[in-house]
Amino acid sequence: MRQEFYQTLRSPVLWGGLAIAALLPFVLTSYYLNIVILALVYVALASSWNIVGGMAGQISMAHSLFIGVGAMFSTALLIKLGINMWLGMLISAAIAGALGAIIAWIDFRFQLGHLSFVLITLAFAEMGGIIVEGWDFLGGASGLMLPRDTGNFVAFQFGGGRGAFWVMLVLATLCVIVNIAILNAPLGYYLRSIRDNEKAAQAIGVNVLRYKVVAMVISAMLASIVGTAYVRYLTFADPYLLVSPVITIEIVLFATVGGLGRAFGPALGALLLVPLGEILRGKLGGTLPGLHYFIYGIVVIAVILATPRGLLSLLESLWMRWRGRATVKL
Amino acid sequence: MIELWQAMAQGVLIGSTYGLLALGMGLVYGVSGVVNFSHGDFISLGMFMCLALYSALSLDPYVSAIITVPVMTVIGALVYRYLIRPMVGHQFLMVVQLTLGLSLVLQNGILMVFGGQPARTPSMVDSKLIILGDVVLRVPHVIAFVVSFALAIGLFVMLRSTDFGRSIRAVHQNAHAAALMGIDVSRVQVLTFALGIGILAIAAALLLPGTPIQPTQGLRYTVITLLVVVLGGMTNFVGIMLGGLIIGIAEAFGTIYLSETLGALMPYMIFVVIMLFRPQGLTWRSPR
Repeated sequence: MRQEFYQTLRSPVLWGGLAIAALLPFVLTSYYLNIVILALVYVALASSWNIVGGMAGQISMAHSLFIGVGAMFSTALLIKLGINMWLGMLISAAIAGALGAIIAWIDFRFQLGHLSFVLITLAFAEMGGIIVEGWDFLGGASGLMLPRDTGNFVAFQFGGGRGAFWVMLVLATLCVIVNIAILNAPLGYYLRSIRDNEKAAQAIGVNVLRYKVVAMVISAMLASIVGTAYVRYLTFADPYLLVSPVITIEIVLFATVGGLGRAFGPALGALLLVPLGEILRGKLGGTLPGLHYFIYGIVVIAVILATPRGLLSLLESLWMRWRGRATVKL
Repeated sequence: MIELWQAMAQGVLIGSTYGLLALGMGLVYGVSGVVNFSHGDFISLGMFMCLALYSALSLDPYVSAIITVPVMTVIGALVYRYLIRPMVGHQFLMVVQLTLGLSLVLQNGILMVFGGQPARTPSMVDSKLIILGDVVLRVPHVIAFVVSFALAIGLFVMLRSTDFGRSIRAVHQNAHAAALMGIDVSRVQVLTFALGIGILAIAAALLLPGTPIQPTQGLRYTVITLLVVVLGGMTNFVGIMLGGLIIGIAEAFGTIYLSETLGALMPYMIFVVIMLFRPQGLTWRSPR
């Protein structure tokens, strides 16, 4: 672990910012609080995706599957078998991790370079969607309803708005810290070497299969845990929302807009785009359904064409220019 | 036994159109290394343009193709020239995200114009049937089969013996050398992409009669196309048509013999199994 990790962890800016953020539920109305919660969900998801998609450069489309396992399976365990949702969360995370490992292994047999990962993960995501819609245990196409949230912490209930906000804040922070940790650990260097040149990485002795699997497992387990917490907040486990590939596309695009492979990049993208989309949907969704996705698409295309390394890099270079010194960063 | 022949026939007929969809993607991949994740949304676009022409002028989808093919070809050329080409070369992986963004734009653009309700576009031949012994064939499927194979053969001849076809093959084999031989590589890439999207307009018209369409279907078509292209070994012409037939037959068998869920899963399961044992695709020649 590099020294920078501990420096970032000790940084007063990080904890001060979080402390101020934690007070938000006391000032925001419930409409805006919901938007912020949703933004935090996507911060957590995009950051977890970043481990495999950004650092290792393996664009995973299977994250809807992992979120879906975390959301649908833990709900089904609670409702159909009466298993406590904390335990359900852990079981689901273990299943998601196993799925991630299997997918990464199958991908390794492919010989199409970076693209194969997108193809095979997309195929698995589609399979996951079909299975959830057709399997009554998981609620089928009509979904599952969770019991009312009474704030009973032992039963994985956090008491609606404020509680959900703090839980999501913790999860989003956890995902970002995991990102920082990996970036500063040997694993982060292996992953980036795989991203930049897989053959060269293998030639200098990086065990490509092993680190791809490790990255995928960490990413899948985090996504699954966030999925469980998200479904508790939604109360309704809707397969068309939680297992649809659209949720993955959103995550991928938020991470790309913010900055791939950077610790704070995906968080920045989600924090900017989710509120934009939600406010647009609130204002115009009734008359023009689909408008906010349309705008996401335009924003993403514009950002990719203008600054392919993401908004975080753009902001940094603007900051450095303003401070009057040039910089070279990885 | 009747069911078996019925499933075979249906699978082959639909599979040929899947093959055609995939040929466009395979050509583009071969020439510029781009996999277009908005492929299925362009099919949607073609279908909804046919729907609009039907509601405005009550044109039959097959007639609408005369209008939609040139329009889609031009759109394809513009998309490649102004969106994808700036990425090719320096930020190659970003093409995936870019086309995913494009997919959101197309899908939700269509949603804003046409609404989210499933829609049908009737055609003259919609309900006509051909009965061969015990096997019942729907005329739109037969038309799709004939046109798809005719187009595939046309493309094959074009690649084989025209100058444009030769330049496509040259760029596919070695873009650098092709450029040294005086071939305008980026022009070939733009034209191939436009051709690929133009083919989609035809495929959209072929698939349309009798199929309910909705804006969110695009991604599913993209995935089916990807399965076919990968099964076919990415750029192998015969392999891709074969892959289309396999996926079509798998789907038909699944829906006739198994439950709806398992039927829908069949193509994916076959895909995963084949990829586990033959990671380089169906054909013996490697994709290089």
